[in-house]
Amino acid sequence: MVRIVVVGFGSVGRAFARIVALKKRAIESRYGVTLNVVGIADSKGMALKSDGFSEYELLKLSEVPRSGVNMFSPYAHNFVDLGYMYDHVQPDIHVELTPSSYVDGEPGLSNILFALNRRTHVVTANKAPLVLRYGELMDIAKKNSVQIRFRSTVMGGTPLIDTVMSLRSEDVERIEGILNATTNFILSEMHDKLIDFDEALKRAQVLGIAEADPSLDIEGVDAAAKLVILSHVIGRNIGLNDVRREPLSKIRLRDVVEAIKEGFVIKYMVHLDVQRGDAWVRIVRIPRSDAFAQINGTLNAVRIRTDTGEILFVGKGGGGIETAHSVLDDVIAIALSIEGGRR
Amino acid sequence: MLRSGKDYIEVAEKVRDVFLDRGFRPIIVVSASKGVTDLLIQVAKGHRGALDEVERRYMDIALEIGSAKLIRRVEEELKKLRRITKSIEEADAALVDYIVSYGERISKIITVQALENMNIHAFELDACSVIITNDVHGDAVIDYPATAVALEKVYSVIKDRNYVPVIEGFIGRTPNGIVTTLGRGGSDYTATAIAALLKLDKVFLVTDVEGVMTTDPDLVPTAKLVRYMSYVEALEASMYGTKGINPKAFEPLEKIFSSKVLIGSWRLFGTTISRDIPESLRGPKVIMIKDTVDYSYIAIVGEGVSEAKFVRDVLDIVISRGIEIKGLQSHIHRPSIVLYVDKEQGVDILKILHKALFEKG
Repeated sequence: MVRIVVVGFGSVGRAFARIVALKKRAIESRYGVTLNVVGIADSKGMALKSDGFSEYELLKLSEVPRSGVNMFSPYAHNFVDLGYMYDHVQPDIHVELTPSSYVDGEPGLSNILFALNRRTHVVTANKAPLVLRYGELMDIAKKNSVQIRFRSTVMGGTPLIDTVMSLRSEDVERIEGILNATTNFILSEMHDKLIDFDEALKRAQVLGIAEADPSLDIEGVDAAAKLVILSHVIGRNIGLNDVRREPLSKIRLRDVVEAIKEGFVIKYMVHLDVQRGDAWVRIVRIPRSDAFAQINGTLNAVRIRTDTGEILFVGKGGGGIETAHSVLDDVIAIALSIEGGRR
Repeated sequence: MLRSGKDYIEVAEKVRDVFLDRGFRPIIVVSASKGVTDLLIQVAKGHRGALDEVERRYMDIALEIGSAKLIRRVEEELKKLRRITKSIEEADAALVDYIVSYGERISKIITVQALENMNIHAFELDACSVIITNDVHGDAVIDYPATAVALEKVYSVIKDRNYVPVIEGFIGRTPNGIVTTLGRGGSDYTATAIAALLKLDKVFLVTDVEGVMTTDPDLVPTAKLVRYMSYVEALEASMYGTKGINPKAFEPLEKIFSSKVLIGSWRLFGTTISRDIPESLRGPKVIMIKDTVDYSYIAIVGEGVSEAKFVRDVLDIVISRGIEIKGLQSHIHRPSIVLYVDKEQGVDILKILHKALFEKG
């Protein structure tokens, strides 16, 4: 039995709880590992159950109001204290789902450091701690003989990170692509409906694709952060400030119309030239025949050029359900290694 | 019809008494509270007052059911709805669907809490995660293969557990994740699609009346309950405007699996609709009248009514009572005949025919 705590309980956390509830038995029979969620924390409180929440309890936890884990009696606590949580439920895996802050990486950074120092494996969907302190976190994990996995942080709907990690003999020369679902949706709307940026953004917000505060997306921070994580995975280690960013909000409808007239489409793309260390997020005109021109709506795509060829990944960029599945993939991978070790 | 907190509590009690206590394992499909869908359409057109009314209705219901968790959940959903409507001037079809979907969503949250208050293990099943449709906003069609995959995953978990899933009717989503709605009466369509895809035995459509009536009881007080109908009869009747039957709802039952449909109220599910009916039950089921500008038409629906013998019987009645008709119509393969009559005499003729066809002893 593998004991899991979930820290941060927004849309991804809730989707994760539901998926575990619905797939727990299938995972047991397919992989022989029993996933037991023993603790959940949000910003206001915690729910702890040391013998694990039942499937029904997990479904009901996913229905509590925002910041309402402390309403889940009789397992609720009106405070958040990771030390208390760990002492009570002794987790094997810490799932970190708090929101990203690129200023200091908190609260995710402290949470992950806490987990690693308690020799607990970490799965994170929170990018900021990795972006700001990748090397240090990996070193601590290694020192404490635990894993830190983060497949959901870049193109969560695909095994991109795992694949890039597995390119051990190839040299990655260039990474380019569309790495942010919100901005790609906005651009698709501008092209399809010929509406201006503000209106497209509003639509994205109304449809729940963009956040109420979309600045991380439209200023390119989210896409840049993903590029930084990819650079770390291939050992190139660029910093967030090394990525030159052009905000998407500069785009005007007339730019789109002109591009269409001339046979182009406009995309918001990331680029990393590994040799030159050149990294940027930029508004780019690409020919209509380019593969990236077909990537619309909330789809994302990445092309990785290595010294042996090119790999193209296409998949859903964001979404609570997709991200939660990637988190669960990481959890299962760790669970298998733990159970394998125990056997 | 869900109007007040009391109605939701009644639903929960009836689910327990009528289904759970008798060993049924229901999946509950909910509609929006009465009138809310129309109000939300107004909201999408920019009428802010309509949103106040939606808020008032749902908050009243939440307060009546009384759970701190429920009140906060409903408040959260209403807050999101208010934010959405604040930021748009005029909604296109996709946004209308998204706004309208809140009616069912909040109703689902309330229903789950009402069931939970009775110690029933209910949980929210998101229509947007299992009902996959095409992108025709306002009148979307369910993609059966895609929906089957999503549904079976959930069903495999709940089928041997005492969990009661509650899902929004009328709502779906495109493969790209955009919310759609299934058109008027879409909740019935959701229910029959789920039943057909999961090969469930029965679909209970809960309405205000005890079943399908032989005719409009407001026009003919002696109207009777129709006990049994076939799908084709129900479909035909719905095309002539019979209340309580949504033509789309029969498609999954025809194409995929023939669950029985029971229409009625909590007191009595008076009408059973199945794929086939025995030979002895062939014959007229429903008679109804519709006015056009120049004349009225009276449609008689039932398997076998377009056969010569039945047509002759009807004509005998018409002639023996000295009724003048302007025309008679029947189509091959359709279980109906239509009589065109003078508008002034329409209701009287309806009464005569109803008496002759349905009130024999």
